[in-house]
Amino acid sequence: MEIRLEHLTKIFTDKSGIETTAVNDLDIVIESGKLIALLGPSGCGKSTTLFMIAGLHKPTEGKIFFGDDEVTKLAPEKRGIGLVFQNYALYPHMTVRQNIMFPLENLRIKREDAIARMNEMAALVNIKELLDRKPAQLSGGQQQRVAIARALVKKPRVLLLDEPLSNLDARLRLQMREEIKRIQRETQITTIFVTHDQEEAMSISDQMVVLNFGVKQQVDAPQEMYNNPDNIFVAKFLGNPPINIFKGKVKNNTLYAGKTPIGPVEVQDGQYDVGVRPEDFRVDDKGFDVNITEIFHIGRDTLIHFDESGTDTRALVDSDSILPGQTKVKLSVKKGKIHLFDETSGLVVGHV
Amino acid sequence: MSKIKDAFWAVRNWFKKINSKITDFLVNHKMGFLVHWPDWFKALIFLAPALILLSIFIFYPIVNAFKLVIYEGYNQTDNTITGYTVFGNFITVLNEDNFLLPSSHTQSSVMINTLIIVLISVPISILLSLLIAVALNSIKPLRNFFQTIYFLPYVTNSIAIGLVFAYMFKSGDSGLINRMLGWFGIDPIAWVSNWNNNGVIIGPTFWAAMSVLIIYGVWQAMAFKIMVFLTSIQGIDKQYYQAAEIDGTPKRRIFSKITIPLISPMIFYIIITSMIGAFKTYESVIAIFGDSGAPAGATYTLKTIVFYIYDYLNNSTPGNLSLAAASSIILFAFILVLTLIQMQISKKRVHY
Repeated sequence: MEIRLEHLTKIFTDKSGIETTAVNDLDIVIESGKLIALLGPSGCGKSTTLFMIAGLHKPTEGKIFFGDDEVTKLAPEKRGIGLVFQNYALYPHMTVRQNIMFPLENLRIKREDAIARMNEMAALVNIKELLDRKPAQLSGGQQQRVAIARALVKKPRVLLLDEPLSNLDARLRLQMREEIKRIQRETQITTIFVTHDQEEAMSISDQMVVLNFGVKQQVDAPQEMYNNPDNIFVAKFLGNPPINIFKGKVKNNTLYAGKTPIGPVEVQDGQYDVGVRPEDFRVDDKGFDVNITEIFHIGRDTLIHFDESGTDTRALVDSDSILPGQTKVKLSVKKGKIHLFDETSGLVVGHV
Repeated sequence: MSKIKDAFWAVRNWFKKINSKITDFLVNHKMGFLVHWPDWFKALIFLAPALILLSIFIFYPIVNAFKLVIYEGYNQTDNTITGYTVFGNFITVLNEDNFLLPSSHTQSSVMINTLIIVLISVPISILLSLLIAVALNSIKPLRNFFQTIYFLPYVTNSIAIGLVFAYMFKSGDSGLINRMLGWFGIDPIAWVSNWNNNGVIIGPTFWAAMSVLIIYGVWQAMAFKIMVFLTSIQGIDKQYYQAAEIDGTPKRRIFSKITIPLISPMIFYIIITSMIGAFKTYESVIAIFGDSGAPAGATYTLKTIVFYIYDYLNNSTPGNLSLAAASSIILFAFILVLTLIQMQISKKRVHY
C-alpha cells in the first residue's frame, strides 16, 4: 500500500487562540511494503503526522492517500491501520489473549477464524507462552510484542508505530528493532515508525523522513542521507559523535579554515559553513597541522579533540596512529566528505 | 519589593541564628531533650487534634454503646440499673412492633423500609450517575456548568431539599410533579397525602410515599457519585480510547469493556459507601413526612433504622437507651456483613 501525503498541514489552536503549526505543508510518498522512519527532534511534528495518517488527528489542510483511495476524512477504523502506541496502551484488565482478540471481536468473523489469527500473530511475535498473563506481568519487550500483535491481528494495510522502542532499555532496544524489522519483512506490510533516535532509524528503516518544526528536511535512504545531507540540520541530526561544523572560506578553489588550507574545492569564492564527520578525518603526512587538546581512547578508534578556527572539533582516527601524550598530528579529509553549507539558508552547496 | 524580600531574608537568618544558639546552649547544658524530641513524640503532637476529637465523639460513644447494651432497666436520670443482660436488649428490639416484622395493623417495618431504600435507591443512583458521568465526559461546552448543577444537592441542606420535595410532590394537581405528569396525560398521584371523597384523611399508598423517599435518595446521592466517576473517567489514559477507536469498537463496547473495568475500583468504593449511606437514611423521612415518620392518615410507617434509634433516644423511659444501643449495634452488624460479602465478591470482579 503506497501512502501519499499531499500538502499536509496541522495547526493546533490553544484556549487563548494561539496557533502552533505542528506540521507544515508536508509532501511525502511512501512506497509500498517499505519500512519508513519519521525522524526528528521532539516537537518536530512526527507523532502528529503519524496520528494524522492514523486518523486520530484531523489535518487542517492537505490530503492523505492510501494507494488510490483518499482517506483524509475517513474515520480511523475504516482506514485499515494498526497502531502501536508509545506506551503500548494494552488494556490492563485483559489477558494477552483478550488484548489480541479485542480488535477481532469488532469484526464480523467466525470465532475459530479469530482464534486462528490470534495464534498466528502470537507465533509471529513469539509470545505463545504468555497468552494467559496480564500486561502488568510482562516485561517491556514482551508488552511491545503484544502491542504489535494486537495491531497486526486485523491484517491492516499499514502498520504505524509511535516511538516503539523509547520505553525499553538499551539491550532490549537493539533486540526489538531487529524484531520489528523481521516482522515487517515477514508480513511485507507498509510500516511507518516514529523515532527521535537517529541510530535506531538508520539501522532498520528502508527510507527516512527527517522533520524539523513540522517541515520536511530530507527524504532518502539512511546511508544516502548520512553521506549527502541536504542541509545543515540533517547533517547535524545524523551521526554520533556529531558532525563538526566550522566556518570556512573558499578562495581560488581552495577551502581554508582560518589560515589552514584544507583542500581543493570547486565552488564560488566566499564564506561557508563546513561540515566534516569525525570519522572522515585521517592521519596523513600530507595533511594540515592540528594541535591535539584531548585524546580519548575508545577501543577500536581514538577520539581526538583539536581546535579549528575557534571551534572544538572531533576526529575519530585509527588507534594505532596516535601515541599517548601526542600533541601534534597531521590530518586530511577523505575525498567527497567535506560538506559545504550556505551560511544563511543552511542548504548544501556541495559535497567535496 | 526586593528590599522587603531582603528584610525578610535578614529576619529569617536572625531567627535561625538565635535558634541554633539556644539549641547549642541547651545541648551543652545537658538539656538537649527539650529541643531534640523523638519522632514518635512529634508524630503524637500532630495526631493529637484528630485523636482527641475522634475519642470524644466516635470511640467513646462506640465503647459506651457496647456498655449500654448489657444494662437492664438503665435509668439515665439517676444513672441506676436493675441488672445485666447479654441478649435481652437485642431480643426486645427484634421483637418490638415494626422493627423486624410489620405488626398486624401496619404494612411495613423499619427494617423492611431501610432495606427497600438501600436495595432500590443505591443501584439506581449508581447506574444513573455512571451514565451522567460518561455523558459529561463526552461533552466539552457547558461541562463545568452541568458539573456544578449536578453537584448542588451535595452542598444543599437536606432538610431544605426535603421540604422542597414535599412541596413538589404535593398531591392533587397543584404539585409540580403531578402537573408534569399531566402533560403526558397521567392522572395526579397521591404522593405524600391523600383524602377520600368525604374529605377524610386516608393517606397515600405505601409505594407512592416510598417512591418519593427513593427518588429523594437517588437524587441527593448522585452528586458525589457523579463527581467521583467523572474524575476517575478523566484519569483513564486517552490512549486506551484511541486504540479502541482504531479498532472500530462501538461506543457501548468501549463503555462496558474499557471504561467500566478501568474504573471498577472506584465503582466498588462507591457501592460500599453509598450502601452505608443509604442504611443511615433519616433526614429525608423527617423532612418530607415530619416527626411521625409517616404521611398523615397512613396505616404504615416510613421510619428507618436510624429514625427508630432516635425515637428511643428522645423517649426517656428507663431502659430505652439500652434499646437504642442494641438497635444501633444491629445496624452496624448488618452493614458489616454486607460490606464483607461485597469485599469477597469484589476480589473476583474488581480489576487490579
